[in-house]
Formats: sequence, C-alpha cells, structure tokens
Amino acid sequence: MIYVLYFIVFVICVYTARHYWFTLNRLFGFQRHPYIDIDTASWPLVTVLVAAHNEEKVISNILSALMTVKYPEGQMLVIPVNDRSTDGTRVIIDDFVERFPGRIQPFHRAGGKGGKAAALKDAMELVTTEVILIFDADYIPGAGLIKQLVAPFFDPEVGGVMGRVVPLNVGTNLLTRLLDLERTGGYQVDQQARMNLRLVPQHGGTVAGVRLSALREIGGWNDQSLTEDTDLTYRLLLHGWKTVYQNRSECYEEVPETWAVRIKQIMRWAKGHNQAMVTYGLRLLLGKHRATLRERIDGALLLGVYAMAPVTLLGWALALAVFFRGVAPLHGVIALFALTAYAALGNLAAFFEIAAAARLDGTRKRICLLPFLILGFAVSIFSVSRAALSQVSDLVTGAELHWDKTERFRKVL
Amino acid sequence: MNSSLAVAALILFVSLMLMLPLVPAFVELRRKSDASPLNVVQQHAGEIRHFANSFRTYIQVLEPTLQQCVASGTTASGILSDGVEYLALGRCDDSQTLPIQQPGAVCPVTIASGSDLVLPPEITFLRDVYAGGQFRGGDSNSYRAILGEKNVHLGHSSRVSRWAHAVGEFSAEHDCELSGRISSDTCIRLQGACNFLRLNAPQIETGHVMHGEDSTLLNSEDDTNASSGVVQRFLHDGDFEVHAGELVTGNIVARGKLQIGAGARICGSVKSVGDMILGAGVSVQGSLISGKQMLIGPDCNVNGPIIAERALHISAGTRCGSLQHPTTVSAPRIEAEEGVAVFGTLWAREHGEVVAS
Repeated sequence: MIYVLYFIVFVICVYTARHYWFTLNRLFGFQRHPYIDIDTASWPLVTVLVAAHNEEKVISNILSALMTVKYPEGQMLVIPVNDRSTDGTRVIIDDFVERFPGRIQPFHRAGGKGGKAAALKDAMELVTTEVILIFDADYIPGAGLIKQLVAPFFDPEVGGVMGRVVPLNVGTNLLTRLLDLERTGGYQVDQQARMNLRLVPQHGGTVAGVRLSALREIGGWNDQSLTEDTDLTYRLLLHGWKTVYQNRSECYEEVPETWAVRIKQIMRWAKGHNQAMVTYGLRLLLGKHRATLRERIDGALLLGVYAMAPVTLLGWALALAVFFRGVAPLHGVIALFALTAYAALGNLAAFFEIAAAARLDGTRKRICLLPFLILGFAVSIFSVSRAALSQVSDLVTGAELHWDKTERFRKVL
Repeated sequence: MNSSLAVAALILFVSLMLMLPLVPAFVELRRKSDASPLNVVQQHAGEIRHFANSFRTYIQVLEPTLQQCVASGTTASGILSDGVEYLALGRCDDSQTLPIQQPGAVCPVTIASGSDLVLPPEITFLRDVYAGGQFRGGDSNSYRAILGEKNVHLGHSSRVSRWAHAVGEFSAEHDCELSGRISSDTCIRLQGACNFLRLNAPQIETGHVMHGEDSTLLNSEDDTNASSGVVQRFLHDGDFEVHAGELVTGNIVARGKLQIGAGARICGSVKSVGDMILGAGVSVQGSLISGKQMLIGPDCNVNGPIIAERALHISAGTRCGSLQHPTTVSAPRIEAEEGVAVFGTLWAREHGEVVAS
C-alpha cells in the first residue's frame, strides 16, 4: 500500500514540476510565434468546416463572421456540417447559402453514426483543398483569424494547427468566470509553453486546422473517438506531423453556464482523453515512430491528465489509510515534511499557472477569483473520476461510448 | 466564560480567518469589475496600413484648409479637435518659413502640406507629418510618423519612430533607422546600413537591385508536379543535404541541419529544425522554414514565405517572392545584403539591417 502511495506522490510531483516549468517558461523563456508574421503570401485554397448539431442559437453568428473575414476572394469555401439537426439549423444554413452563392456549400446529414468525428468524416467527401479549418458552431472568428490559422501550413512539417479559445460569456455567473480562468491558464500558459518547448500542443478540434494529406496519411477522422481532437493530435504525432499552437489566433466561444452542462462536458472530455491514453499511451512512450524523447514524455503526461483525478482520489484514500494504520516511515517525519512542502509549493502550482496567465493577458481583478477555483477543481476531480469509473464499467459490460453535445445558452437572434 | 462559548468563539474566529482570503474574491464576484471577455483584436488584424489609414481619416478635417492654402499659396495654423496644434502649408517651399530652421530644433506641431513638402535637415518632428504631394526630408531628421500621398524620400541618417506610408515610392538614404511600420503601395528602396523592423510593399529593394524578368523558378513540367495538390514529403530525422544541382520534387523536412547545394531546385517547401544554408542560385518553389538560423546564398529564388526563428541572412541577388506571388520574409534578426529584392513583407521582429554585399 505504501509503495502505491509513493508512486502516486511521485506522479503528482511530476505534474507539479510540469506546471512550474510551463509557467516559468511563459514568464521568462523564449516565446515561439514563428508563423504569426506571415501576412503576405499566395494564400492557398481553404475549406472551413463548421460542425453543427442543433445549433439554431448560434449558427448564424459564425456564418456571418466567416462571410466577413479577410481572406482572398474565391480561395475559401465554408461547409456547414449539419449533423442530423432537428431544430432550425438547416433553414438558417440554407438561407446563408442563398445569400452568399458560391461561398457556402452545405452538408446536410440526415442519418448515420452520431458524434462530431463521424459527421466530419462524412463531410470529407466534399473537401478537396489541402488546408482544412474546423470550427464548432458557437465560435465567432475575427477578421484576420483565417489567415493566421492557414499560415502555419506553409511549414511542410505542420499537420495540425490550434488557435486560442477565449470565452465570450465570461460575466454570466461564477461558473463562467471560473471557466474563463481555466481557459486562460490552459491556453496562455500550457499550450504556449508546449509550443515554446517543442512539446505536444494539443489540437482542440475547433479554432483549428488540419492538412488534408496528413489526415489521409493517418487514416482520416476516427469516429470511434469521443474526443476526435485528442485522437488527431496523437495520430499526427505518431506519423511525424507536428501540431502547432497559435496563441495570438484568438476566437470567442461560449462556455457552459450551468454546472450540469459543465459536468457533462468534462466527463465527455475525460472519457475521450482516457480512451486516447489507452489507445496511444504505450505506443507513444515505447513504440518506433518519429516523435522525439521530449514529445514522448510530454505527450504521455498530457494523455494522463484526466487519469490523475481518480489517481489523486486514490492517493487521498491511501494517505488516510496509511495514517490511521501508522505505517508512515520515520514516524511520519518524512510525510510531515513532504506534506508541508507540497502544501506550500504543490497546491500552488495550478493557481500560479492561472495567475501568471491572467497577468500575461493583462487582466487584473479577475485574479481575485482564484480561491474559488478550488470549487471548480473539486467538481472536476469528482466528475472526471466518475467518468473514469463509468468507462471501466462500460468496458466490462461492453456498452458503447456515447457522444453528448454541449448545450448552448445564447439567445436566438 | 463557559467552555462551550469558548469553543464556539474559537470556531467562529477560525472560520473568519479562513474566510479572510476570500473577501477580495467575493467582492469581485459581486462587483464584476473585470468580467468582460478578453479583448481580442477582431477587425484591423495587424494590417500594416492601419495607422496610416487612421491618420488619413483624422487629418481629413484639414482638407478644406489645405486646399485653401494651396490655392492662395499661404500657410495656416490652428488646433485640431483633440487639442493638437497643426501647421498647414500651401507651397513646397513653405517649410523655409517654419520656426524650426536651426539644426537640432524640435517641431512640436502636426505638419500638413497640401502639395509637395521639402523639409530642412536635422529637425525632430514630434508630431505626424502629412504630405499631399511628394515628400523629401532633410538629412538626419527624426520623425514620429509620415504619410505621403506620392513618393516619400528620407535623407541619410533619418529616423522614423512609429510608422511611414507612401502611396508612391518610399526611399531612404544610407544609415536611416526605421523603427516602426514602413509601407508603400508601390516600392520601398533602402540604401546601405539602414535599420528596419517591418516593411511592406509590392516590391522592396535593398541597395541597387539588378532588374531582370520575374524569375521563372522551374520549368512548366516541374511546376505542374509541385502544384497538383498533395506533394510527397521527405522526412529526415537528422542532418540532411541536397546536393548541388539536384532537382527535388516534394517537401523536405529535416529534423537537424539542412544544407542545399548551389543550383539545386526544390519543387516544394523546405523545413529544417536546425540551421539551414542555401548555396548560390538555389530555387525553391514553396516556403523556407528554419527553427534556428538561415543563410540564403547569392542569386537564390524563393517563391513562398521565408521564416527563420532566430536569424536570417539574405545574400545579394536573391529574390523572395515575385510581383505575381507576394510573400513574407520574417525572423527576429535579419541581415539583407544590398541587391536583395523582396516582394511583399520583410519583417524583422528585433532588428533588421541592410548590409554591404
């Protein structure tokens, strides 16, 4: 029991060190934004896929925004992927098609397997361009975003591109404010540090791009995956393609406004991520492929982030058991020192990362909300652990993974 | 005090102490003083002419005054709506009447000329300068910003701290320091020892450029192979070398250093994670990307974007892009020898310099 606990403590320390490494890199290290200066070029043909399943509340916003972006005329085709919508999504899309002839080609999908990956997979029959951009329907791209996301594809090593997601409905309630802080830390520090350090920036499946030839080489979209973005990141990596992160390619999104929707969302992410961990973890660490040593280590740690929630809960349970059975070595002196050190440094790591991110963003007062993140973390740790347990039980019972769409909160225009 | 009360007081005290760090959080949650979405630049999107366009709009209120000055051959002065003082000039020699003739003088007002503008040397202009016609600055002048509706010419050792835009040609004599955004709708010409950061024009030339026809990088058959959509990718885990005169059809990715021999032709794009060295006369149809330093030899032709993450040296006779295919050349530090032509954007994040070949 004590050795399991040692192992868990060691893994937690590794993640703690990783948090500090990333944050210090963002604060003091060399920042890589190699493609952001490409403002003049012979811009290639690009297809923009907009994944939409019952998105009548938001679809018109993104289509309007895409019709006003700065990209050479005739070089961009928008394909709204209407995945079995039962609301007014189809009508809205068809209206846009009429208003902007030749610029939007709808893909209405009436049946087939559920899930974003399955819908994108089917929509690929319409795609002929080498560069593909993907947006979820609740995103609102700015004028220069398409060029910024296309620019990295001039690098022949790049297979995938990820932009930065910025919550739009920040001020709605405590949850949206906490999610705003989490997103800030995740993108401004985590993703950019991975980019700086040539590790594994994660493809997010939205505000993102993929190279058609790379996608074909890795076998296309994986409709078995709950998180096609994580799946894509690792398959690209294993085939020698890089995913790059563009921190200055920002795009507004809508974050969940109720805890129920948030829990559902994070449980889906956890299941998909764990699925990728089981599928690619060992192969990434030990297999023969083109990833570098640092990519293997970082990629494995990234795969394990959602598994850390149940592991941490187990660690707490073991720590209690060890304490009450009195088996701590050296009469608990080491444990006491370790606990004190962790309370001072370890717990602080995630908060330090988010505070640093907020500072980099130039925001001030929202850092005050940092203590409330404990609440967000607590909800996440139990939801993610629950997802992991249900995943294990699904494995035993042979139940199929189920894809849940995230509910939207925007008012219909 | 009985013991129950003491315990209750202790619990209350501890609870209050625990709540203390949360006070700012509760205050912010209630006040929502920083609850708006992060300000994402949505519209002008880094457009190099943004400041020039804004200034043109800003100065439009002076249009009638300028027309009047030009028609009557007089000068006028006044204060703009935001409190900035201006001087409107009607004749090209009006600057001789400015109260700033002595070397080292500082001109604190916005200068707007309805026609050509010729400025005396060794003056510091603290406000923006507008020329409705040709602009010719004296030697060793220092400008905040310049907008010229025709050609803009800077005398030697001049300095621009924010931006300059010429509708016509922008040219700078030797030893100029161009710290901000410099753009032209036709051409930018920089002489030796000029420093720059961000340049944008259909054609940018350093020193004297030998003008030939727009380069035909590859013959039509090669071109067809390379542009037919998906091109083959050659991935090399270590250092790699393309031999002199070799023709490669496909994209090359080297995870180490990459050397391309003289006269080689690449129908595709090239990436090296380490340093990249191009010999003389190399042609690349796509882009050149280096994770570290890049050295482009003399008389090379590159069609696509050129990015070096650390430093870039471009030798004389090299052409980056073409009039038909404008491109971007970018690195934190750029040295461009005299005789280099770039079609599009030349962007040095930290320091760019025209050096002798």
